Amino acid sequence: MGFETKPVIGGEMYEMASRFATEAGEELAAIAEAHAQAACIGRHWAGIAELGWMATAIPETEGGAGGDLADLASLAAGAGRAALALPVAASCGVVPVLLAGHPILADVASGKARVAAILPGAARDADGKALSAAKALDGDAVGVETPPDPTHVALAIGGDEAVLLLVPTGAAGLQTATYLRIDWRLAADFHFGHVAIQPEWIVARGAQAMRRAEAARDVGALLTGVECVSAMGALVEQTIHYLLNRVQFGQPLATYQALRHRVAEMYVEYETLRGIVSRALRAAQSGEEASQAISFAKLRLGEAGRAVAESAIQCHGGMGMTEELPANRLCKRLMMAEFEFGNRVFHATRLLAGQEA
Amino acid sequence: MPAAIDYEAFREEVRDFALRNCPPEIRAVVASYRKLSRKIWYPWQKILFEHGWGAPNWPQEFGGTGWDTRQRVIFDEVMAECDCPPQYHHGLRHLGPVIIEFGNKEQQERFLPGILNGTDWWCQGYSEPGAGSDLASLRTTGRREGDEYIVDGQKTWTSHAQEADWMYTLVRTSKEPKKQQGISLLLIPLNSPGITIRPIRTIDGWHHVNEVFLDNVRVPVANRIGEEGQGWTYGKFLLERERLGGANIAPHRMALERVRDMVGKELAGEDRRAERELLNHRLLLAEAELLGASELGRESIEAAIEGKPLGMLPAVIKLCTSVTMQTISQIALDAVGDRLAPRFKRVDGEGPNAEAPGIEWVQNYMYARVRTIYGGSSEVQKNVIAKQLFGM
Repeated sequence: MGFETKPVIGGEMYEMASRFATEAGEELAAIAEAHAQAACIGRHWAGIAELGWMATAIPETEGGAGGDLADLASLAAGAGRAALALPVAASCGVVPVLLAGHPILADVASGKARVAAILPGAARDADGKALSAAKALDGDAVGVETPPDPTHVALAIGGDEAVLLLVPTGAAGLQTATYLRIDWRLAADFHFGHVAIQPEWIVARGAQAMRRAEAARDVGALLTGVECVSAMGALVEQTIHYLLNRVQFGQPLATYQALRHRVAEMYVEYETLRGIVSRALRAAQSGEEASQAISFAKLRLGEAGRAVAESAIQCHGGMGMTEELPANRLCKRLMMAEFEFGNRVFHATRLLAGQEA
Repeated sequence: MPAAIDYEAFREEVRDFALRNCPPEIRAVVASYRKLSRKIWYPWQKILFEHGWGAPNWPQEFGGTGWDTRQRVIFDEVMAECDCPPQYHHGLRHLGPVIIEFGNKEQQERFLPGILNGTDWWCQGYSEPGAGSDLASLRTTGRREGDEYIVDGQKTWTSHAQEADWMYTLVRTSKEPKKQQGISLLLIPLNSPGITIRPIRTIDGWHHVNEVFLDNVRVPVANRIGEEGQGWTYGKFLLERERLGGANIAPHRMALERVRDMVGKELAGEDRRAERELLNHRLLLAEAELLGASELGRESIEAAIEGKPLGMLPAVIKLCTSVTMQTISQIALDAVGDRLAPRFKRVDGEGPNAEAPGIEWVQNYMYARVRTIYGGSSEVQKNVIAKQLFGM
């Protein structure tokens, strides 16, 4: 066994999730066609539902397992080791926060209700302005991460008429187009064509709705960070393994200082990301205001993720350009993670606004 | 079971002590970013010592404070916030732990008190003209003559030699097949006959390093730490301590806050908004890097307290914070450079222009280049890390 990195949080759930992700990744990698890949992802979703992943953080009184943030983080850390192509942060962390106290939670816990989360600012009208809830819904939310065959969207709309809605995907005027993302996860475009808001869709209004949406985004960003530390660690390990075994000019590539230094730089990025994500997780667990710590972690994730992924591809040479290389699933996952739950600009803007206040 | 520690009360206690007892003229120097000298460090070390806080990094039986990791971190943070000089002197951080670990009882009694109360000032005689990153190639010799060593050679990049009383020095006491063998660690009084100290002029305009020439310098054998020929082991132990000093990220974060403050003032007003926002954004990225490093610093202080190996943490922290500190100094230069760099020296004055307030930002930018060179250059740190990662 070669060099091993460590996750933000370990334990039994981490080990279990890591094993699941590795097997799922191998199965998915053997499939070439998009529709067959989507079907495979559907089976994996059923698998984690059966294992109770979505129930993790839902209170027992509402049909869940009553776990805490550490449990969620263990799952995310394990899933990240093999870039599991399922919306772990969104479905296990974000949706239960958005829908806290809602009767649908029991079905969310079992995996029967499959909810895609559209956070404030993601849905836009035809003029590119944030969707308004003043009257019927008219606009689009594109590239939204989703479970397979979503049954609902949880739509958070900001502005004067801030509201959090739980809209069935079968609602009149709502159209869905499904995609595979570059990291093999599922995404959907939701088109709202004059969808009349039904009173029973309203989960929360006004400031309460926005507080929930922001808390949900923070949980999502934090879990994504935890996941990426594992992905980055695995990527460092796989790059080391490749360089030790690939021989050129009569010597293993691992003997060349230019490559050794590049890997050392990757390792430094990985360690400092682990540091800042651990710090954010500790802040969130202590119950104190953690938004700032999370924003800093997400900002760093954007910088470090690209640096490590690009170096890994470079160190693998031509193999780094091939779809078959498992390390590339990790690279693509890191690249996508940068955009989830607020990209670099979003979090930098939030931090700068906080400084001026 | 010991009573739970009230960390917030501890933080208040430290802050109250610092603000009450650290002389304003010392805090002004620290706040101004100037290089610190013995004149600044010594009085504060004396004050801390008298309060029982002279050596938070030492074991309690030798005058340490017995604080846990969190208290150590809080102490460092508050010291930085209050602009107190960081407790980073060669005696306290480097040599003290070596004497505690490898010195005999007599040496401990003779040298530790002066380090603790600040009356003895130490510098490090390691690098030589032919032995920089490749320290084990050092050629300064120590020839045994009765109960003395006769030391001949030259040391360089010796920080604080101009104001120190002592130099802990690596010398070659025998020729062995491996260059790491045959080296001994000697403690040499700088007022010994045969020692000449010459300042080195550096790009930042501050005087901080020197050349030290040793010509037939007589050093008692009693001033040798540990075994003859085992100096490399002690030197390495010491270097690990030196790198652990990097675990204290609080002064770095304070430096960043100062730059942020300066950027806000220097680039005030609506017409400079774009410049200001660009620099503030770069500062945020730097801050994120420091926050990651501060967590690793915490982990390594914890490991040191528990006596666990530090592994690659010191190298990782050194590598990333050195670059981040350079980045911060670049941002500061970007804010003031066009105005101040042209006025570095008056032709009719001496040294950097004292009449150009803020000139230290320019000096500091130049000085910051050394951060990736000293204490094990970035290239050496990467070699160290790669060796662990690849197992070869």
